Amino acid sequence: MVNRLIIAAAGSGKTTYLVRQAMQQSDSVLITTYTIANELEIRKKFVELNGCVPHNVTIQTWYSFLLQHGVRPFQGVVLDDKINGMILVNEKSGKKYDGKYGPVYYAEDDYRKFYFTDGMKMYSDKIAKFVCRCEKETKGRVSQRISRIYPKIYVDEIQDLAGYDLDIIKSLLQADCDVTMVGDPRQVTYHTHNEVKYKKYADGKIEEFIRTECKKIDCIIDKETLNDSYRNNQSICSYSSQLYEEYGETGTKQFEVTGHEGVFLVRPDDVAAYLEEFKPMQLREKRTVKVNDGYAAINMGESKGLTYDRVLIYPTGTMRNWMKDHSRKMQPKTRSQLYVAITRARYSVGIVFDYDEKTSIEGVEKYR
Amino acid sequence: MYISKVKIHNFKCYRDFEITLEEGLNIVVGDNESGKSTILEAINLALTGILSGKSIWNEISQYIFNKEAVDEYIASLNTAPIALPYITIEIFFGGAENPLMNGDANSDRDNNAEGFCFRIAFNDKYVDEYESLVQQGDVKSLPIEYYDITWTTFARDVITTRSIPYKSCLIDSSEYRYQSGNDLYLSRIIKGSLEPEDITSIAQAHRKMRDTFINDPSIEAINNKINQDASLTDKKIALSVELVTKNAWENSLVTQLDEIPFHYVGKGEQCVVKTELALAKRTSQNASIILLEEPENHLSHTRLNQLIKCISEQYAEKQILISTHSSFVANKLGLGKVMLLDNLRITRFSELSEDTYNFFKKVAGYDTLRMILCKKTILCEGDSDELVIQKAYMQLNDGRLPIEDGIEVISVGVSFLRFLEIADCIQTKIAVVTDNDGDIAAINKKYENYIGANQKDYIKICVDDVVDTGTLKIGKSDYNYNTLEPKLLKVNGLDKLNRIFGTDYTDEDDLRKFMKHNKTECALKIFESSEQIEIPEYILEAIRW
Repeated sequence: MVNRLIIAAAGSGKTTYLVRQAMQQSDSVLITTYTIANELEIRKKFVELNGCVPHNVTIQTWYSFLLQHGVRPFQGVVLDDKINGMILVNEKSGKKYDGKYGPVYYAEDDYRKFYFTDGMKMYSDKIAKFVCRCEKETKGRVSQRISRIYPKIYVDEIQDLAGYDLDIIKSLLQADCDVTMVGDPRQVTYHTHNEVKYKKYADGKIEEFIRTECKKIDCIIDKETLNDSYRNNQSICSYSSQLYEEYGETGTKQFEVTGHEGVFLVRPDDVAAYLEEFKPMQLREKRTVKVNDGYAAINMGESKGLTYDRVLIYPTGTMRNWMKDHSRKMQPKTRSQLYVAITRARYSVGIVFDYDEKTSIEGVEKYR
Repeated sequence: MYISKVKIHNFKCYRDFEITLEEGLNIVVGDNESGKSTILEAINLALTGILSGKSIWNEISQYIFNKEAVDEYIASLNTAPIALPYITIEIFFGGAENPLMNGDANSDRDNNAEGFCFRIAFNDKYVDEYESLVQQGDVKSLPIEYYDITWTTFARDVITTRSIPYKSCLIDSSEYRYQSGNDLYLSRIIKGSLEPEDITSIAQAHRKMRDTFINDPSIEAINNKINQDASLTDKKIALSVELVTKNAWENSLVTQLDEIPFHYVGKGEQCVVKTELALAKRTSQNASIILLEEPENHLSHTRLNQLIKCISEQYAEKQILISTHSSFVANKLGLGKVMLLDNLRITRFSELSEDTYNFFKKVAGYDTLRMILCKKTILCEGDSDELVIQKAYMQLNDGRLPIEDGIEVISVGVSFLRFLEIADCIQTKIAVVTDNDGDIAAINKKYENYIGANQKDYIKICVDDVVDTGTLKIGKSDYNYNTLEPKLLKVNGLDKLNRIFGTDYTDEDDLRKFMKHNKTECALKIFESSEQIEIPEYILEAIRW
């Protein structure tokens, strides 16, 4: 078996790469990814490159894959009832009641209440844990069965997997199939429920997880293949790379010249003029941030996977502080948001920022 | 890939039933009404959703449920209602080629198992309606209208018969398949052996034929005539051919055999042709099981022989399940493949020695199945022994023949030990009646596995332990005083036997010679005699036991 973790830069053509790889396989292939949006993206790419999804390729979201192949085949070790799909939860599930010192939850022994709603829907935050339990109690039959069905497995958006998901990945890496994991640790989707298991590998530390927890398993860590961005030009790549120096600088394959390229500071007073001149997409942290209503706007968190010619970012206070001084503390979530926001643009990134003559930020120009 | 096991719950005569199958050939032997056909039906139903030639959705009724289970349920309604009965047929696949169907959703709780479960059960959706029905006391039969039919893999995936990578082909000779012009069954088999392009060209040719028909001048003329006569409506009336669906040719074409439509060909021949077609089907695409019901029906001995030859040459590539009550079929195809179905339970014969298989394969005329299917068997050497034993039985049992009590008397020549080997497998009562031929030690040696310390409670060796001697010679050799005839003379005396045979020998030795040379005739006379015959004790022993 050949396992591979590919660290992909934003806009490096990750989906195209994945789809092309999958198209070359004659074995049964599974492509799984965390979000429905990305699942659709992959399907679209297949249609674009191949006309259709080949018969030997199955595309499933991570949860749907876990339900079908992780939970159901051997759920008998826990219970036999029909499981009616899953329910997405945004906070820790299985609450028993609100106690004096905060909520009290059902214990795992009370497995019906712990894992399921009254309508026997499985809580999304417990699926992976359940799968790990099946894997353990059947002595590895879950991963064995999956590897027999899919000799080739591609996990996209690997950075989004956390907690028990990682244990499942570990089992698959050990099973008799080739696992290719692709992801950008800089673009983590933040779960509102905080997984206690493997907490230290949260925030996209997948590489560290493979190096530490799976050191006896063969797995190639590839930072080259998908390091060049087809989307962002060099100035944008360089500036975004400053956010994650540990991953080195991203290269570019975007050389188009439009007359306005790079990263620019835009004074609040100039926003209207800037919008008028370049028509960028406005990116904000959340809806409550005031933007110019005459032009389109989108939350940074929702912009993941999308591409615009130009963007205008409304940074938060923490982000502005970081821009002035990279040693300032910034939450991983905020850092990732800023990274995603910057890397949406092909040609230019405007950042709303009050500046004067003395202001000087490396890699950033001034609009006026 | 092959079916390794089938488990049936509440389907027809089976409350809970399990049968393991092997790759290649499997033979189920059983009496009439023993449930052989139900096994084949169940397998076919689970794999195709077809019962009695029709879709199960139209065939579902209370009568396909186990009667006992239904009765229990109905009875319980008056006291404490029990859960509604359901049918499951579980198909287990061997060969570990189907990981998608691997899971622990099987009644064995085996997480190694691969397969699926066919299920006819109450749909929980209707629980409210059902509850009110029960409360009103309106349930007098199974509320079939609330039942649902599902196929679920052992991995709990809901599937359709289309996605089962294993097909079945049921070949039987009952009437119901021949109601429509073309035998759907046959067309399915033929279709299975065609390439997709072939099927397309058939469909196209069929469409062309229809167009030609509509455009034929005579049809046009007729249509004009109809329209002139029509006065009740302004609309145009025309004679046409039904617009064809993609697979219409299947229904309107007739398969012919030597220019005779298939359904006019003899049933036996149909069976042979279908079997051959099914066997010839390419194996690469989908593995399949051929379910062959009582091939001996409608077939002459010669044709049966050809069919069996065809089967035994090709079963290596196919899984075949044959139900039969012909010993010939069973012997010829190999007793090792035979499973006995008795009291809805299965017994296998896999412990027979290679030698014994081969013996019965070669001498396939032996009625091995008679022994397998009866309550008790008395084995004897020849026809005359058989007649005398029958007579003895009638004398002891108010004139009833042994067969009327489910007891078989079979003459087996010198092959006692072969038959005893079968007896070891089935463990039904078998008595051996044998001459001692003047050498008790030799007899003891021959049957050492069945007497003394090795005595088995289902096998009894009956032999006269007195060795008689005398001086009579036949030609140059000594006369054997220890066979049936001299023993009969010993207990009945000269006068009585003379009376029965219509002879008047004065010397016992002369009568002995007469009996030796007219064994069967003497036995017949004894059998037909109205006089009470004395029977040697060792024979009585076999009958009383």
